[in-house]
Amino acid sequence: MRNVDVVRTALGNTMRSKTRTFLTVIAIVIGAFTLTLTSGLGAGINKYVDSMVAGFGQTNQIYVMPGMDPSQQMPTNGEPQEYDPEEAAATGEFGMQMLTEDDIATIEGIDGITDVEPIVFVTADYLGTADGDQFVLQSLGFPSDAAGMEMEAGTTPDPQAMELTVPETWLSAFGTEDPNEVLGETVTIGLKDMAQQEQTVEAEIVGVSQQAISGVGGSPMPSSALNEELNDVQTSGLDVEQPKNYVQAVATVENLEANETAIKQALSDEGLMGLTLEDQLGVLTGIIDTVTWVLNGFALIALLAASFGIVNTLLMSVQERTREIGLMKALGMGRGKVFGLFSTEAVMLGVMGSVIGVGLGVLVGVIGNAALVNGPLSGVAGLSLYAVDPVSILLIVALILAIAFLAGTMPAARAAKKDPIEALRYE
Amino acid sequence: MSAPVLETENLVKVYGRGQSRFDALKGLTFEIHEGESVAIVGKSGSGKSTLMHLLALLDEPTSGVVAMDGRPVSQLKPAQVSALRNDTFGFVFQQFFLNANQTVLENVILPLKIAGVSASERKRRGMEVLEQLEMADKAKNKANDLSGGQKQRVCIARALINQPTVLFADEPTGNLDTATGEVVEDILFGLHRDRGITLVVVTHDDDLASRCDRRLLMQDGLIVVDDRGETAKAAGAGVGQASREGSRQVGGHGKHAAPAPLDGQPATGRDAGTGTETGEGQA
Ligand SMILES: Nc1ncnc2c1ncn2[C@@H]1O[C@H](COP(=O)(O)OP(=O)(O)O)[C@@H](O)[C@H]1O
Ligand SMILES: [Mg+2]
Repeated sequence: MRNVDVVRTALGNTMRSKTRTFLTVIAIVIGAFTLTLTSGLGAGINKYVDSMVAGFGQTNQIYVMPGMDPSQQMPTNGEPQEYDPEEAAATGEFGMQMLTEDDIATIEGIDGITDVEPIVFVTADYLGTADGDQFVLQSLGFPSDAAGMEMEAGTTPDPQAMELTVPETWLSAFGTEDPNEVLGETVTIGLKDMAQQEQTVEAEIVGVSQQAISGVGGSPMPSSALNEELNDVQTSGLDVEQPKNYVQAVATVENLEANETAIKQALSDEGLMGLTLEDQLGVLTGIIDTVTWVLNGFALIALLAASFGIVNTLLMSVQERTREIGLMKALGMGRGKVFGLFSTEAVMLGVMGSVIGVGLGVLVGVIGNAALVNGPLSGVAGLSLYAVDPVSILLIVALILAIAFLAGTMPAARAAKKDPIEALRYE
Repeated sequence: MSAPVLETENLVKVYGRGQSRFDALKGLTFEIHEGESVAIVGKSGSGKSTLMHLLALLDEPTSGVVAMDGRPVSQLKPAQVSALRNDTFGFVFQQFFLNANQTVLENVILPLKIAGVSASERKRRGMEVLEQLEMADKAKNKANDLSGGQKQRVCIARALINQPTVLFADEPTGNLDTATGEVVEDILFGLHRDRGITLVVVTHDDDLASRCDRRLLMQDGLIVVDDRGETAKAAGAGVGQASREGSRQVGGHGKHAAPAPLDGQPATGRDAGTGTETGEGQA
């Protein structure tokens, strides 16, 4: 039998009992649909993360924070600990380890690091507009996030100038909807010094940011200089000199790709920890991938159930067509071709199920993505929840065809084994 | 006489084992020559179908040899045996075994489809053979919508489409009324005469048997009469009761010492009367 005849005959056979084929295909469609949707979801969100990474542009930076020293993080079993005045001074709020001035100097001394910018942790109380209105400042953005920020209008703040950006969602505070109107406006930031005295600092709005899914651009962000100034104000007010502490520092590195391991090693030797942007986002993509695989797991379970549907359908088909199989064998059709005919029938069910399922999945994914991104989630810049990934779609189709083929082997082998005389003997 | 197409030597077929062991064929040695028409006759359960299946290479003997064109088929691989069946044999089964949901043409061309002949060639040859059997106008009908005689013609068309050298028929007229049965008989013998096809026919029908060159009478797994009666052949040219009587007499005058009468009862009563159906399960 020619291959084209095998395929045509197999297709014809699946069309013989349409209800049964339909029900079997439905089961495959559900699996294919879910798998397409979940993997597209993973691809879409990862694509968004990638575009975020690309948005940072400057990827020659390493974020340095105090090393995780397990003996300091773990409860101490009640045993008394030796007191070290220097370390005690570098313990910030909530017992969090902070970087000291010494640490910053150490980092600057590491080969390959050209510049270190310490990040100070500022808690401000309010932001006052030119009209005299005051709004609660729950949090301030980190100046180091500037490079990755999506701007609605204006630019990111000049590190040396007293400038800041506000998020799009804050436009109402300025009584406008046009982001360009707030550019150039001077605001006051109110905060308390160590003596609990209210102090203010003035700064100019130079940009309006969009909030990204990572949170960057979601709150007002000062320039480095403004941040430094705010920190100075925050730690002033007492006559004693306050030791300067930093949450983390951003180190600019020469040729990051080549020096990454060496610098990380050097940092770790100093009891510090360095993370690149990729490392940080890697955690995020890792989580997304895990969630995607859990969802894919459910889809695979659906496909597993569908494969038993295929086995069942084909077994029934083989049983019903015992005589026909016997006849074909009597007329000279070899075992291999009989096997081929029935496994092709199984693959046909897989083809129908995967084409319909994947098609529906892509359709729902694309439409759903468009509806969400332009609707309820339009505030998140550059968001994509679903991406069509041709490679994974091909993989899904191939996987389903493989499952269908495997499911078909048992019934097909049973058909191939049929004895023509036995099959033809009785009515 | 021409060369033997099919030969057997000490052919034995045993079904089952132990308690349920049944010796269906007990050592048969004979030859079938090219262009011969051979009727295998005998009571139900005597081993006719078993023998035909072995000759047609649908089954393998327990022991003994089946040789095709002088070559033992046990030497062939399964794929070669399948190819041989597809290529040189034609089959007419006792039941029609037509695929009810397919058209007449689709049923007829099945052997060519299996052989891997192209679709256009299949159609051409299918229509050709349907025309010979005067069934061309029914080519597009569903096989299910035909009368018994028409169905049997379709079966014969299917058996002929690969231009076989040997045509096997198991009770080709068993399912048909007398008139239709005679038409089918005429078709078979016409082919035999015009094309020199070797015919191997299992039958209960005395009239059909008498038209064959040769009759093998089977009883309990043995050939008890091998009858090449010339008179029977001559009588076979005529149709009807006269030839039936003739064959019975020829059977009686066979060369074996204790000849059994041919199973010559009318078609309707033949199985019920013999009682062998109930004996089939015996070991
Ligand atoms: N597959 C089988 N298993 C057991 N016994 C069988 C089988 N096929 C045939 N037989 C027995 O062999 C004997 C001969 O059968 P068969 O050749 O079909 O007889 P016939 O065609 O002459 O009526 C019968 O008694 C039948 O019961
Ligand atoms: Mg029989």
